[in-house]
Amino acid sequence: MFDELDPIMHSQLRLAVMSLLISVKEADFTFLRDKTNSTAGNLSVQVNKLKDAGYIDVTKQFRNNYPLTVCKITRKGIESFENYVKALKSYMNPETLN
Amino acid sequence: MEKEDQLTEQESLKLISEMISKAKGSYVTKGIASIVWGILIVVCSLLTWAQVQFRFSLGFDVWLLVLGAVIPQVFFSIKEKRQKNYVGHDEQSMRYLWATFGICIFILSFYNMHFGDEHSTTLYMMLYGIPTFITGGIFRFRPMIYGGLICWILSVASVFTPFSVDMLFMAACGLFAWLIPGIILWRKYLVQKTSDV
Repeated sequence: MFDELDPIMHSQLRLAVMSLLISVKEADFTFLRDKTNSTAGNLSVQVNKLKDAGYIDVTKQFRNNYPLTVCKITRKGIESFENYVKALKSYMNPETLN
Repeated sequence: MEKEDQLTEQESLKLISEMISKAKGSYVTKGIASIVWGILIVVCSLLTWAQVQFRFSLGFDVWLLVLGAVIPQVFFSIKEKRQKNYVGHDEQSMRYLWATFGICIFILSFYNMHFGDEHSTTLYMMLYGIPTFITGGIFRFRPMIYGGLICWILSVASVFTPFSVDMLFMAACGLFAWLIPGIILWRKYLVQKTSDV
């Protein structure tokens, strides 16, 4: 049996954001926007979806009087990311399935 | 990435790999701290060596310059932190590691003020090697790994050499552990900055 791919994760921009956040301790909105080459509006929507799923924590702060949105992957997010990669691998190499 | 596209499995793995590489590519430090401390150690060591070798005195302890460097170091660290828009996994560990090193250097200097510093160059060089080697190992940055090893080799060698030679060893430590790696980091930063434009 193939593992089902997590629909929250299986979207281009959300997967890109999760991949970036798993590589760093935390990152602000501009880092994610620059690395994913996305628009602020689209990124904001996808970040909220990940937040609602409990995959990332989003905190609003101020730096030099400018608003700053900081994103951090949660434990649930890490587990989901690992399961997603595992499921992907099972699709790529079905012979490795038990 | 404007649309919420559905991906094939291959595309997903490619995207994950690409984003992880992009995040890793962001771990570029300017190396300014490394350059500043490298220059200081080299200059202070060579001035101390010159005073011993040519029998003259500058009239003040040149190593006090090291204390003066702490202020610009704090300034540059705060500035760099403010400009960064992410925090890497290893950064906190690095802060603790280098703070530990600074505290140990301070304690050793304090100890020397009370009991004399004739043979303490061996210990200084041993301490120089510790954070340099660990930082190089964690970030897989070979110049710092080699720099750390050089500090330890010279630390052992200094047991058998007079104080003036120890100062040349100390200058070599500053050069190989911090100045050269710092210049390499700075050049990498410039290359990355150019490619980002």
